Amino acid sequence: MAIAEATPSVVAGAPLEPPARTWLRRLGIIVPAALIALVVLACFLGPLVLPIPEPTGGNILEAYLPAFSPGHILGTDPNGNDILSRILYGGRNSLIVAVGVTVVGQTIGGTFGALSAYFGGAADTLIMRVFDVFIAFPALVLIIAVAQSLGPSVTTAILALSFFGIPAVARVSRAATLSLREQPFMTAAKLCGTPWWRVLLRHIAPNIAPQLITFAMLGMGLIIVLEGALSFLGLGIPPPAPSWGNMIAEGQASLSATPMLVIWPSLALFITVLSFNLLGESLRSLWSAR
Amino acid sequence: MTPAAALQSGLLLEVRDLRVTFTRGGRRVHAVNGLSYDLDEGELLAIIGESGSGKTVGARTLMGLLPPSARVSGSARFDGTELVGMPEPQIRHWRGSEIAMVFQDPTRSLNPTMRIGRQITEAIRQHSELDRDAAKERAIELLKLVHLPAAERRFYEYPHQMSGGMRQRVVIAIALAGEPRLLIADEATSALDVTTQAQIMALLLELQERLGMAIILISHDLGLAASYAQNVVVMYAGRAVEYATARQLFAGVRMPYTRALLGAIPQLERPSHGQLPVITGQPPDPAALPEGCPFRPRCDLATDKCAESPPFLEHEPGHWWACWNAAAVPAVVGDDVDDDGVRS
Amino acid sequence: MTRATNGGSLLEVRDLVQEFAVRGPGGVKGAVVHAVSDVSFEVGGGETLGIVGETGSGKTTLARSVIQAPRPKAGEVRFLGTDLMRLGRRSLTQARRQMQMVYQDPFGSLNPRWRVTQLVEEPLVGYGVKPASARRARVNELLDLVGLDPSVYGKRRPHELSGGQCQRVAIARAIALNPALVICDEPVAALDVLIQAQVLNLFERLRAELGLSYLFISHDLALVKQVSDRVAVMYLGQLAEIGPSEELYRRPMHPYTSALLDSIPGLDPATGEVRRPVPLAGEPPSPIEPPSGCRFRTRCPFAQQRCATETPALREIEPGRQVACHFPLNVVADSVPAAAT
Repeated sequence: MAIAEATPSVVAGAPLEPPARTWLRRLGIIVPAALIALVVLACFLGPLVLPIPEPTGGNILEAYLPAFSPGHILGTDPNGNDILSRILYGGRNSLIVAVGVTVVGQTIGGTFGALSAYFGGAADTLIMRVFDVFIAFPALVLIIAVAQSLGPSVTTAILALSFFGIPAVARVSRAATLSLREQPFMTAAKLCGTPWWRVLLRHIAPNIAPQLITFAMLGMGLIIVLEGALSFLGLGIPPPAPSWGNMIAEGQASLSATPMLVIWPSLALFITVLSFNLLGESLRSLWSAR
Repeated sequence: MTPAAALQSGLLLEVRDLRVTFTRGGRRVHAVNGLSYDLDEGELLAIIGESGSGKTVGARTLMGLLPPSARVSGSARFDGTELVGMPEPQIRHWRGSEIAMVFQDPTRSLNPTMRIGRQITEAIRQHSELDRDAAKERAIELLKLVHLPAAERRFYEYPHQMSGGMRQRVVIAIALAGEPRLLIADEATSALDVTTQAQIMALLLELQERLGMAIILISHDLGLAASYAQNVVVMYAGRAVEYATARQLFAGVRMPYTRALLGAIPQLERPSHGQLPVITGQPPDPAALPEGCPFRPRCDLATDKCAESPPFLEHEPGHWWACWNAAAVPAVVGDDVDDDGVRS
Repeated sequence: MTRATNGGSLLEVRDLVQEFAVRGPGGVKGAVVHAVSDVSFEVGGGETLGIVGETGSGKTTLARSVIQAPRPKAGEVRFLGTDLMRLGRRSLTQARRQMQMVYQDPFGSLNPRWRVTQLVEEPLVGYGVKPASARRARVNELLDLVGLDPSVYGKRRPHELSGGQCQRVAIARAIALNPALVICDEPVAALDVLIQAQVLNLFERLRAELGLSYLFISHDLALVKQVSDRVAVMYLGQLAEIGPSEELYRRPMHPYTSALLDSIPGLDPATGEVRRPVPLAGEPPSPIEPPSGCRFRTRCPFAQQRCATETPALREIEPGRQVACHFPLNVVADSVPAAAT
């Protein structure tokens, strides 16, 4: 029952784990983070720096060019648009939607979930039931409804996907806050006279941040895929503006003849989502190991 | 090596200079660094130490319950058979049938989704050829042996339907299923209330007498050792530092560490608001043990000689300790402490 | 708010009741746990009252009820003259300024992401002590007081401290505002024996230097006696007896207190005699369905018919000694019928 009084290893200066494992763990964070940085840089800065043609308004005479054609390193699509360019600009849209949904979800969902758990009682019941309604709604119906009423665009995509993002994050935030609430230091904070908003900001937020950030990373990947599905259904980014999703949708029509039209955007999607997932996993193991 | 007041029944366990290291987080932890004692059949031995003293690892070595990175040296002979280096299949046979172990938290030792009767019959059938009905009969017999009230009914209950004391009785019943000759109780009463502890200890004593079973009581509570043990081993930083009969030990404490331990326990007989005698500092990190006597930084008798590790010797008949200087200081009986925590 | 001087009642608890609903299967409200039932006691200024009880006695719930986290179901908690039960949230925070608590789990009571200086500073911030430089100075003063060098430990986080050091930080935080009363809920239960002694000595030293009162809760009777002037014994949500610590130990009046004393192993340091504990019969009953009348009767060797039908009230049998028993033991005065054997 007694807690060991041995000198804490951190203080003694000795490393807590073998150097090899530390390096592996660091790699697990550095590599995906670097890949994501690469993708972001390529999509947002690439077109400004490199000689890349416009993603739309291509010459139909240049349609279906294969890879490594002059001026079109990945070839062109049925409309003569440069595929690489469409991937980069499409990446912009996909990433903007992903970040948008994540930000909206984390701030609104995170805050409400934490508030709900902290205050408990009637407030908790009310907030969670509201979110339950959102989750209970058939997803597709909701999205179609939103898309139809607002018309497909980046904003629509963000709004529609937030309907999932917010309750999902709220759930995670609430669960994390609930387990935190039972800790003695929360009672201690009350006795210290700390007001509820400072408790939320200084006590709760820093301690649930790891879970929320991990969830955000894993969610990014999911949102990009969902956006892809939206676009596949024609409800996301409207053509001719590219997104990875609608590129896959278009390319799917001629999959056997020109598979590369699907493969290139799928590859981009795969690398990005995988990197986010790996980063999320590595962060999760980093923070839960402590 | 047996302390003077050994029981006449014969030697059951002989531990000599046991050393156990294992790897944790890339470092070599010297959990046990020289443990020696004897145990007779039917004897109750108390191994006392604080956390990190190596008392639990020492016991787990006897059961072969060590992490794969563990390296064991020294000797532990149970009824003549060497346990150190015994291959896993053989140890598995020994575990439960010759030596059994009971742990601190009865709630975590029991499967919460399985009825307790089934947990006992499972253990019984592992160590015998009994069929299902015979095993059930034996299980109820065991539950009665550990004085679990309404044994026939409780056979079908789940752990959460019982109190902590009752759960610990069930755990003991499971341990007895293989009819072991030695029962190791590792802080078995530390998680229990003091009244429940008294009940469980009374049960263990009864089992000791009825079944002729030896018991090793591992604890941080010297009071427990005083009330129940025939012999006591005190461990610090992985090694045995004092070993004697309970009577000898408490009549005349030798080791500065044991003295500090005794002094630090609040006693009912002392007046309130006194200062407890304290020694500063903390036990050494078992992954970074210093040279020489591990207690040296905290010891009031420390001299230069202590840079050399003192051997564990029988300085008086039946009373062993590991200290260069303890013999020179008269043995302490009780405590003579004034209000400022200064020992006179 | 002035601190009560010696002799005045610092804390007065009357008929405190706390209950919890147990959820049945499916989340439906099931039985009720009677955690604390009609508990009344007082703590004077500069006094330490120890509360000893085993699992299920309700002692931790009692501590939480006194600080109103959560609020008890019924009763009166008068602290420095004000009944905390009647106060709204804001006034409660103000009224509680002089009341602080030290918890059992040294690591759990400190936010793992905060540094030591921030942790100790929190009550100063919460109660509006300005300016920041004054707070910093006070934090350093407090850390010195509990034996932690601010320059070494100030920047550390809880996981870089040992259990004993964490508890010192918790104590520093608790005394930051010069409270009148510190409630200690098993503050040393999770510590090794030698560190435990150090922390207990610290409690004593602070008591003498700062004139603190303690409500000291533990399951260990010897420990409680070490630090207390008076001791209250709890069993299954009720008080069995209250009395001066030395008297209680030498002459227990409630059969449960006597059984508790008989269960403690060890040696008598004066005579060297081995104390062989005498086990108490029976199992602790459930706080959901406590026995009628006296809750201890199912395990009491002196129980009679009356004990089942009539709940004994806590009354003053002798000056300074309150017992809740129809047949108390060791009574010197002849005002109560002797215990039947």
